[in-house]
Amino acid sequence: MMLRQAAKKALGLTSRQSTPWSVGISRSYHENVIDHYDNPRNVGSFDKNDPSIGTGLVGAPACGDVMKLQIKVDEKTGQIVDARFKTFGCGSAIASSSVATEWVKGKAMEEVLTIKNTEIAKHLSLPPVKLHCSMLAEDAIKAAVKDYKEKRLKTNGAAAAAGQTAQA
Amino acid sequence: MNKTKKLVASISTLLTRRTSHPSSTLRCNPLATFRIKPQTHLNPVKPLALLRFSGRAFCSGSCDKISSSTCWNCGFSSDKSAFLFCDSCRSIQPVDDSVDYFQIFGLEKKYELDAGSVEGKYKDWQKKLHPDLVHNKSQKERDYAAEQSAKVTEACRTLTKRLSRAMYIMKVNGKNINEEETVTDPTLLMEMMELREAIAEADDSKELNKIQSQVQEKLKQWSDSFAKAFESQRFDEAVKCIRRMTFYEKACEEIVKKL
Repeated sequence: MMLRQAAKKALGLTSRQSTPWSVGISRSYHENVIDHYDNPRNVGSFDKNDPSIGTGLVGAPACGDVMKLQIKVDEKTGQIVDARFKTFGCGSAIASSSVATEWVKGKAMEEVLTIKNTEIAKHLSLPPVKLHCSMLAEDAIKAAVKDYKEKRLKTNGAAAAAGQTAQA
Repeated sequence: MNKTKKLVASISTLLTRRTSHPSSTLRCNPLATFRIKPQTHLNPVKPLALLRFSGRAFCSGSCDKISSSTCWNCGFSSDKSAFLFCDSCRSIQPVDDSVDYFQIFGLEKKYELDAGSVEGKYKDWQKKLHPDLVHNKSQKERDYAAEQSAKVTEACRTLTKRLSRAMYIMKVNGKNINEEETVTDPTLLMEMMELREAIAEADDSKELNKIQSQVQEKLKQWSDSFAKAFESQRFDEAVKCIRRMTFYEKACEEIVKKL
């Protein structure tokens, strides 16, 4: 319990969020999910074409849910400075992606790749039947990072080519 | 030792009652008879071997022959699986897992289906399984009737809806669909995102109905594609069709919720 609180603080969660959870153990298991569902953080979209944005778009084959997670990366430091999500699906899927956007903020890209679905599921006390929602969120994070990296490669490649043509 | 003797004794009484049928295989029901010769109680390994054999006989779909059945009540055995009633004594039989949903409704194992025929047969089955008709039967038979009724209802539900029928027919043919792997196809997901956004933004029922008919159109298209892919055994493509249908069905559910 103590470790969890410390971890939450380290992840930079606001005091508004950490207070209700740090109290009793007698809370119902889905309270965190309801919280994220009623007050979802970071809902919205970035401009897909902005070079500092990575977009992860994933879908769940079992239930037909769709999840979009976007990260805004500081090009100099490689840190994720902001995140947005848009999820069409059940409460667990929405909560999972909401948690994901919170957890990626202020972290380096390599670090967020280590976020595991089990951590998200534990945080939300997801029942076994909803574990795939947390998996979807983990996949969305990875897809967003991958998209950003690919975009950077393309722009770097184009810049290099342009540089060569200019020299020639 | 005494226990095995008792087992052999009860088995031999059952054996004398039933007509010996060389091709009948064993069924998993509480009173399953084991074809053990009296002297094999000395060799405990034999029953296990028989159990293993009977395990194989229960594979559904991929087996070429339908397992024959033996009535628990009168011992009558036949070549075809008794679905509901024993042909001889009319007692209700327990659920046989090797009987698939198509067999219950007497349909060919193909995807195209007339939903109306399923509904009609469903009502006929339920007439036979209705509690009022079985209340004078033994508790065991009433329990069997309840199980059979549940299976028939499940079968009806599965076969009348396109998506569940598609998934079932794949399963029955031994083609498992991996539902764990996340979908990453950008074109498909973009389309679904836009569709779900449109549904979320739609204000009135007129707009929703319009979207719904578009989605139904798509479902029909992909359902037909599935039928073609399945018939020509292009199973990878069939799975893709099922994926698409899953997403469209979800969109439909959302529309219905909003309407």
